Amino acid sequence: MQESIQDRLDPSDPSVLSDPAGPSAPSVLPDAGIGLRKLVLHQEVVLTEAGEAPARPARRASVAAVIRNPWAGSGPGTDLTAEQLRIAPALAKLLTDRLVGTLGGVDAVEAFGKAAVVGTAGEIEHAGALIHTPYFGNLVREYLRGESIICFADTRAEAGETLIVPLWHKTHAATRSHYQTFGARVPDAPRADELVVIAAASTGPRPHPRIGDRLTDPVVTTETLEALPS
Amino acid sequence: MNVRKIVTLVEEIRSEGGRPVSPPARVAVVAAVIENPWAGEGFVEDLGPGIEATASDVGALLAPEVLDALQAPAEAYGKAAIVGLDGEVEHGSALIHTLKFGDHFRKAANATTLLPAVEKRGPAGVVFDIPLKHITDATIRSHHQTTEVRIADAPHPNEIVIALAAAAQGRPQQRLAPLSTEQ
Repeated sequence: MQESIQDRLDPSDPSVLSDPAGPSAPSVLPDAGIGLRKLVLHQEVVLTEAGEAPARPARRASVAAVIRNPWAGSGPGTDLTAEQLRIAPALAKLLTDRLVGTLGGVDAVEAFGKAAVVGTAGEIEHAGALIHTPYFGNLVREYLRGESIICFADTRAEAGETLIVPLWHKTHAATRSHYQTFGARVPDAPRADELVVIAAASTGPRPHPRIGDRLTDPVVTTETLEALPS
Repeated sequence: MNVRKIVTLVEEIRSEGGRPVSPPARVAVVAAVIENPWAGEGFVEDLGPGIEATASDVGALLAPEVLDALQAPAEAYGKAAIVGLDGEVEHGSALIHTLKFGDHFRKAANATTLLPAVEKRGPAGVVFDIPLKHITDATIRSHHQTTEVRIADAPHPNEIVIALAAAAQGRPQQRLAPLSTEQ
């Protein structure tokens, strides 16, 4: 057991769901000015997988923010710009601050992803408005010092839905060892008029990556496969 | 003790019932997914040696982790043992219903009461609720609360999920009359 524990990051580091201002900083509005109901952190550290310790142990985390959907019940003619400009940058900062604090610093983050779940009184377009534009994506990329496009998942669902958030390498998206997913779930959200917005990250690859990479792949086409003995 | 992974969940509630919660209410859970010490051994009459080998270690692992995750003194706490489908609920109970397990948490949190618990058997991804009560007086009604946990890929049939939960306060908008008002 002791050996496995040493593989983990120092728990005295800026730790789980740490708010740089402290958990009860009086200057912070409880709802962060964006209708925030709660934040949920989920972190996993794999010590052994298939009976063996990973050569590079990774820490994976997601942070989910449950907010009021500012467009719930409005029609498809509604212009989403103003609220998007107001809310998305605040979410990008809030979620990445928590991720970086949890995972031991921005340099520890190697892979990232994003996601949103919209409640049933909203449109999937509302989820998109908060995660698919530069007001969220560019800022998350900047805060996490990435270069890749950020992969994503989104859905409309009842509270308690598990969303599988895809992650890939933050600077080299085609790095196959870093293709991985992380489940995010808030038991009591989203309510019909809420949105759950999620940022997720990993400090390393899958536990035992061994399916090669683009650099090692042979040429594979229908023609080359036909040449193989059947 | 063979640990496959450690899972941490932290909820920070900013509003409840449409009103702000300030300071935010925090609840943390840390779970260890471990191999069932009695996996594959059939019916083991004497669970003592397995308890001796595992219960204290897993309690020592989880107690500091859950307090780190909470980032505040714990006022309420609870525990869980969720046994994979090939084990007995008794195996989970064996690991958490011993002072060897709970004393690590009680000592770290300056607590005195027994930890309320959930024990059940289920497949990977089973949802379970951990009950929490006040750390020094289990009759303090404001601190009775529950937190929900799900680990998508645990427990495997030969595993047990052992978890500790801690809350930095009572329920977010607690406003029930204390027990003493009804006595």
